[in-house]
Amino acid sequence: MSVETAPQAPAHPAGMDNRIVVDGATRTWRDLPELTLPGPAAALAHTARHALAAARHHAVHGTELLLSTASRVDAAMRAELRDAGFAVTELGGDHPAGDTTPPASRAAETGRLWLLTSGSTGRPKRVGHTLESLTTVRGQQPARTWLCPYAPGTYAWWQVVTLSLTQPGQHLVVVEPDQLDDWPALAAEHGVDAASGTPTFWRRALHRDPAGLARVPLRQLTLGGEPVDQTILDRLREVFPAARISWIYASSEVGAAIVVHDGRAGFPMEWLDRAAPGRPTIGVHDGELVITSPYHGAGLDGPVRTGDRAQVSGDRVLITGRLDADEINVGGSKVSAGVVRDVLTAHPQVAWARVTGRRAPLLGHMVVAEVVPVGSATAPAEAGLDEAGLDEATLVRWCADQLPEYAVPRRIRVLTEIPVKETLKSDV
Amino acid sequence: MKELSRAQIRDLMGEVLKNQGKALPADDAADLREVGFRSLDFSELALRVEDATGEELNFDAPGLRRIATVGDVLDFLVELQRQ
Repeated sequence: MSVETAPQAPAHPAGMDNRIVVDGATRTWRDLPELTLPGPAAALAHTARHALAAARHHAVHGTELLLSTASRVDAAMRAELRDAGFAVTELGGDHPAGDTTPPASRAAETGRLWLLTSGSTGRPKRVGHTLESLTTVRGQQPARTWLCPYAPGTYAWWQVVTLSLTQPGQHLVVVEPDQLDDWPALAAEHGVDAASGTPTFWRRALHRDPAGLARVPLRQLTLGGEPVDQTILDRLREVFPAARISWIYASSEVGAAIVVHDGRAGFPMEWLDRAAPGRPTIGVHDGELVITSPYHGAGLDGPVRTGDRAQVSGDRVLITGRLDADEINVGGSKVSAGVVRDVLTAHPQVAWARVTGRRAPLLGHMVVAEVVPVGSATAPAEAGLDEAGLDEATLVRWCADQLPEYAVPRRIRVLTEIPVKETLKSDV
Repeated sequence: MKELSRAQIRDLMGEVLKNQGKALPADDAADLREVGFRSLDFSELALRVEDATGEELNFDAPGLRRIATVGDVLDFLVELQRQ
């Protein structure tokens, strides 16, 4: 159980006086509620404000902490955490404390931060970090007001949060889950000039209200968490011609390993297998991205097989998607779902696409797709046809001009809204 | 269970071919090779039938047979819906 007392935390982290907009109010790190967290603590936050308070608590006291939103942790995971010696603590919200006493107490590991992976490949697992290993942006940065749209406790959330906690002049505007659809208005109101989000997050913003997005005075746009294709980079460039647009490959396991600022999808081939002190080494083995990183999670030193598919295209190495979900076998011919998705999203009338394999007679599987047409947020598509005349046959012909016959999606469903999960990703 | 008629399946077959820039001849005896209707098209047609009926087709049920004409495809899918 958490206890709120007077907001008077000691001024340790350098960013304590940075401005934070959360829960409809503007405050500083210093003004967040002071929590009492017994370590090792598994803090399950019901509000963004309490999640930030837990992060500050860790930065000040070094309490061993696993931080997550309450919704990501089910009853089985709570029991698992208690068995691992954590005191499970609900933060914020109207929730009974329950039994938070771990059955087998153990000594807390001071300075340890635990992340729960997204669980996209099974049960979420714990990855050990420290504030130091999560802080990948160092050195003097230009003053920025950052948007924080991520779910508390995720790797991407910690990236933005550690930046604001450790660097003076790095302010935060936190997007609550119910504000995700209209974040550009919030961002414009508070002068957000830097934002980090998944490609799905950016596509949704472009799709829902491009004029509203253009009103946000962005100077830095960052994409990560999902494959980043050239089309999304180009569309953002059209809206923000003068901004720096970067994409990052990062994960709980290997940290921030690839950062690309040149506005192009993929990374330069000459970065492969290049060893430099303090920098990750990137390799591709059997089509899989393999990373050895100084920012890795505890116990993950040495090469980490990422499970992400990488392929060379011209002078770039493209990361197209998860290996286990990316490959579709159509009658013995292998199709990369990511490559087909990129062809679909490159169509000027397509705002978003998802490509999957569907069980089919004779061939085992066929390539199928779902798409959201540009402009359908204001003019809903009906019966698979939108007002721009984007129909299945048009997209099939578009794909047939660029892909082998077996890779062309044969069934294409038209959706009106880009689906998104709490992780801001749309892959399921 | 909703079941498609032979005529309805014929319409779907016409859509599959139209998406490929091909036409479905009126004659059921037309040879599939001449029409340009291949295994990818056949699989797509099966998915369209499944989508229309909401039922998965069981291709393991009937014995193998020769499917050479438009009529063979239609007969096969009509029968398959009843398995």
